[in-house]
Amino acid sequence: MINIQDMRDTARDLLAKNEVRAVIGYRRGSSGMNAEPVVITDAAQADELVWDPTCFHNLALYLVEDRKFLAHTRAKPGLPIAIVAKGCDARAIVVLMQEHYFKREEVYIIGMSCEGTGVLDERKLASQGIQASNAAFDGDDYVFTTAQGEKRIAAREVMADRCLECRIPYPREHNVVLGEDKTGRVLAEPFAALKRFEERDAAERWIYWERQFDRCIRCFACRSVCPMCFCDECVVDSISFPVTAQTTAEEKANRVRWIERSAVRSENITYHMTRAMHLAGRCVDCNECERVCPVNIPLRLLNNKMEREAREQFGYEPGASIGAPALVASFLDNDPEKFIR
Amino acid sequence: MSEQQAEVTTDYEPRIVAFLCKWCSSAGSDLAGVSRIQYPSNATPITVPCSGSVSPMYILSALKKGADGVLVSGCHIGDCHYIEGNYLARRKIHLVKELLGFVGVEQDRFRMSWVSAAEGAKYSQVIKDFVEDLRPLGPQTKLKADRS
Repeated sequence: MINIQDMRDTARDLLAKNEVRAVIGYRRGSSGMNAEPVVITDAAQADELVWDPTCFHNLALYLVEDRKFLAHTRAKPGLPIAIVAKGCDARAIVVLMQEHYFKREEVYIIGMSCEGTGVLDERKLASQGIQASNAAFDGDDYVFTTAQGEKRIAAREVMADRCLECRIPYPREHNVVLGEDKTGRVLAEPFAALKRFEERDAAERWIYWERQFDRCIRCFACRSVCPMCFCDECVVDSISFPVTAQTTAEEKANRVRWIERSAVRSENITYHMTRAMHLAGRCVDCNECERVCPVNIPLRLLNNKMEREAREQFGYEPGASIGAPALVASFLDNDPEKFIR
Repeated sequence: MSEQQAEVTTDYEPRIVAFLCKWCSSAGSDLAGVSRIQYPSNATPITVPCSGSVSPMYILSALKKGADGVLVSGCHIGDCHYIEGNYLARRKIHLVKELLGFVGVEQDRFRMSWVSAAEGAKYSQVIKDFVEDLRPLGPQTKLKADRS
């Protein structure tokens, strides 16, 4: 059981002793019960930090933003930046370091073990008919503050699927860690939704995905929220194509456009499949893309498929170690090749 | 191909986009040509520096532009001009194939083969087999962009 005050004290100490330049964490949101990401730079703000079941956000995203900002301003910060990280967030940070996005000493990881629980799934809570103004961890339960008073629910009833299936609910890579290591706990079988889905035949699967991809409005929320989608120029944007007064219509027409931005099925499916490919061996299953999707496209299925393929065929775990090579930049002699003629 | 099948699908000729490695498969297809080996003309060869350089984008893009099948062909394992390019291709292409199958695209629309520069006969066989497997599937419409 994590004492929130310990996290605040850690953050306060780090800032007061000038060991880090900022702490990325969670604070109470301005509306409803959900927490929101916050960057604090002053030790006095440390009491704003919270840790509760609504800390869904993968804060590794803000390390990427910070990095981009530093590169843009050409600042040399000197001090590391601290980040509050769950098990999945810490794995995302490891993946980023594997790819040399930043160095280990540039980040100070305040690890938070999820212990026997994980984060809340708002949809599951809503289906239980609970409207809460506050949520808190209590052992293996969540305690919600509602208009009718306190309500205690076993965490596994309203927990996000990805947390139920999580194998390592503990940030292995950390500078300081709060809470116990409960690696090895089994709340649900991993890839359950994927297994159920794969029982359908190819035609049914296509009908399903056709409907999902038709609904995509190309808001790119999935891309914006993903810490792994850090490319300066995404393949769908082609912002580096300079259009000047001299650019001819032919040049504009003939430039390489792998994917159009228009929200039609063929472009949507290419976009989502490209994204799944780019996340293969990198996705840490934080499921932020699916959570932020305004039309509820089950993106976790696609990412899970790639994750399981990497695990079962290539023995690859994303975010396992900083020194490990990337999935598609390495190989084994016994990689599957039955499909090759 | 039997005459029976030909009658059913007379007006449909599958279009294949074949990404051939410059060092092996492309030379293999040349050998098939200079050896006067007969094989269907359905494949449009695109020479790439290495099978490892084939991005999943190429494959998706080909299907989006209306290819009925996509072939990626490179050197045999251990023969890569760049030492390990085909090992990387093998892993990457496996993922693409699984992903395409997962969303419900027919597995037979996508194929990979190892063809060395000396295997003109094998290249012609690969294309023959591919065309025959593609015929019963009909035109690929799932990923094709609607340009109407």
